[in-house]
Amino acid sequence: MTIADWASLVLLVAGAAFFFAGTVGLLRFPDVYTRLHALAKADNLGLGLVVFGLLLKAPSAALAIKLLLVWLLALAASATVGFLIARRARRHGIEPWRAGDAE
Amino acid sequence: MKITLAAVRAFLWRGTLFALLWWALTDGRPGSWAVGSVAVAFASAASLRLLPPVPTHVSRIGLLRFLVFFVHQSLRGGVQVAWFALRPRLALSPAIHEVGLRLPAGISRVLLANTMSLLPGTLSVELQGDRLCLHVLDASAPTETEVRTAETRLAQMLGLTLDTR
Repeated sequence: MTIADWASLVLLVAGAAFFFAGTVGLLRFPDVYTRLHALAKADNLGLGLVVFGLLLKAPSAALAIKLLLVWLLALAASATVGFLIARRARRHGIEPWRAGDAE
Repeated sequence: MKITLAAVRAFLWRGTLFALLWWALTDGRPGSWAVGSVAVAFASAASLRLLPPVPTHVSRIGLLRFLVFFVHQSLRGGVQVAWFALRPRLALSPAIHEVGLRLPAGISRVLLANTMSLLPGTLSVELQGDRLCLHVLDASAPTETEVRTAETRLAQMLGLTLDTR
């Protein structure tokens, strides 16, 4: 295996680890706001690391651009949708969970 | 729309980007350009209608510094939040913080709200005028400092001046 292969492998495994942590957070966190945190982070870091891992093995420049676009579009969608859900929840009067509340 | 030098420049610049996008999506297949050139022309025209050229100048060094800041903050905060999710006892101390923005009104404030949502540990929940409401996972984290840094980086990238009162 070349250095690029190893670097790609490390990035892919790290990306998968962040997706795992994000999913655990989505299941364990207590309210809508904290769960949105877990989702946004999986999109940004998990997908980001996977995309950069795959970039190292991209067979053509066109494919590399496509991969980067996938990440950028996912980031834009994730940030916008996360904000809209959080704002809607707040305007509906959903109080954020606080330390000490029942889980 | 009046045809100005700025509009022509924006049309050519955006057309180049759309052409690059078409090239990437079709893997550079030569036969695709019969449809592609029409699509690129319409996309450029539509983009000028929807977002008229604004006299902002995106600084390349500023963009690079912003990317370095974004990746660095993401990794640092990401490890922390992943640890929050995975540790056996949930030890969150969420809170809502409100921060006054120094960026001028417009798209830069939306960019800041989105940046804060993507950075681990903070989530934008409301943007009204120059007030940004953030939900944070850790109430003791220096949220305002983080917003200020992101603001400064964004302003440098877009060539804007911050309103320091």
